[in-house]
Amino acid sequence: MTSLFQVPWSDYRPDLLDALWRTVSYTAVSFAGAVLLGLAVALLRLSKVWPARAVAAVYTEVFKNVPLLAIIFLSYFGLASAGIRLDVFTAGCLSLVVFYAAYLSEIFRSAISGVHDGQTEAGEALGLGKVGIFGHIILPQALRQALPGTNTMLVDLLKSTSLLVTVSAAELMSEGRLITSATFRALEVYLVISAVYFALCYPLSQFLLLLERKVRAGVPLSPWRRRRVRTARALLAADIGTVRGDSHRTDLKEAAV
Amino acid sequence: MTEPLTTATTPQHTHQEAGSGTSSPAPPEPVVRIDGLSKSFDGRLVLDDVRLEVGRGRIVSVIGQSGGGKTTLMRCVNLLERPDEGTVEVAGQVVHSGGRLVCSDLPALRRTVGMVFQRFNLFPHLTAVENVVLAQRTAGVPESEALERAVTLLRRVKVAHRGLALPDQLSGGEQQRVAIARALALKPAVLLFDEPTSSLDPEATREVLSVMRELAADGMTMLLVTHELPFAREVSDHVVFVDGGRIVEEGRPQDVLDNPGQARTREFLASYGSAS
Repeated sequence: MTSLFQVPWSDYRPDLLDALWRTVSYTAVSFAGAVLLGLAVALLRLSKVWPARAVAAVYTEVFKNVPLLAIIFLSYFGLASAGIRLDVFTAGCLSLVVFYAAYLSEIFRSAISGVHDGQTEAGEALGLGKVGIFGHIILPQALRQALPGTNTMLVDLLKSTSLLVTVSAAELMSEGRLITSATFRALEVYLVISAVYFALCYPLSQFLLLLERKVRAGVPLSPWRRRRVRTARALLAADIGTVRGDSHRTDLKEAAV
Repeated sequence: MTEPLTTATTPQHTHQEAGSGTSSPAPPEPVVRIDGLSKSFDGRLVLDDVRLEVGRGRIVSVIGQSGGGKTTLMRCVNLLERPDEGTVEVAGQVVHSGGRLVCSDLPALRRTVGMVFQRFNLFPHLTAVENVVLAQRTAGVPESEALERAVTLLRRVKVAHRGLALPDQLSGGEQQRVAIARALALKPAVLLFDEPTSSLDPEATREVLSVMRELAADGMTMLLVTHELPFAREVSDHVVFVDGGRIVEEGRPQDVLDNPGQARTREFLASYGSAS
């Protein structure tokens, strides 16, 4: 065992922490961008205007069927040869955004389409406008439907940042390569780097699973909704108290995970 | 009941209201007035020159076979369906005329017309109380006022003890009662009920009809599409029989349901085992 671990890891701790921070930064920025672009593409694909639908469909099909590595090379080397020089962080994020937005748009489109037409009608009948219906009724339900797929994409994106090693993006995998070059301890180094990825991804996926369960149970997550439910609970205290003991009784608190 | 509660000029048969004459009090101001309304889907005429009025505080039940145009007629009131021809007037304001939307503020119109759907259509991501709050908030009602009103309405429909439950944790009857509370939240001038008990078991049906009975006693104006003929007989001021997109017969419930003047009405009632 001692012969396996011979790299002076304490010497590399600052560099590893810096690489870890970069990996998290690539993930956070790219995922935020991919969600926004994916949502926009999904809305275009659901548009009544056929050119908008066509553009969105072409985008989705192109980026779903080109390898991420090719997109990274195109962003960093390809654009540079065409006179558009992007720094490695921008090129890396751009690649991840356009690639994952294609997949997320499919998840979002399916989730939005899956919201029953009766929900829109109920919103209309209550006098909500198009924006109100989308924001208060369709989007929250669609997000609930899209959460499992979106969460899978987030973990996948985090792991895919390792491909940025090919453009020396100074993230975890790049740092691992540098340490390997300096120590010639490939097995040890990549075992440790893999363990760091696992230590990032596993808690993240478990947290996202917990989040999914909470959302499915209707647990209020936003501060304003928590405040509303708290006030409602206080106003309804007497009513809920009168039936305490009913065998069928369930409410938001009991359903919460 | 001495005056016609609704008028219809196209039906083949309209019962004379008992006691109508010069001494009758003035008919109530109409909350809903439909005149010459026609509607087609893909070239198939589903409503043909329908005229109907619902006076303030009155309850009008629309009965008829499935596919006869009842639901479409109701959905034309809040313009969930746009008529091809005719005029729709709500609370004294013409909202649709000659196949064109006349109303400049459609959401405002819809806030004056509450609607209860056959399949409830509650928002599944929100608790019962939040379902009742949502439309109030988007209409600008302050949060505390909206919540207090929601709780009051949930108590009124006897489902306040389930106020923090999500729709999928509620029984069908509870869901429909929450839907009624939600429809009442914006203090509508008229409530539309589209077969509100069709998806419910007998016990849940009784619960919902009990709430509707109380609303009727409170003087709520209601337009009701229903297959619950005994209930229609009990609460309605006026019954309209629709068939093939036309009003075939209308009048007081005891006239239309117990002594129908039209063969088609008798046939329909016989098929429901309700012919007297």
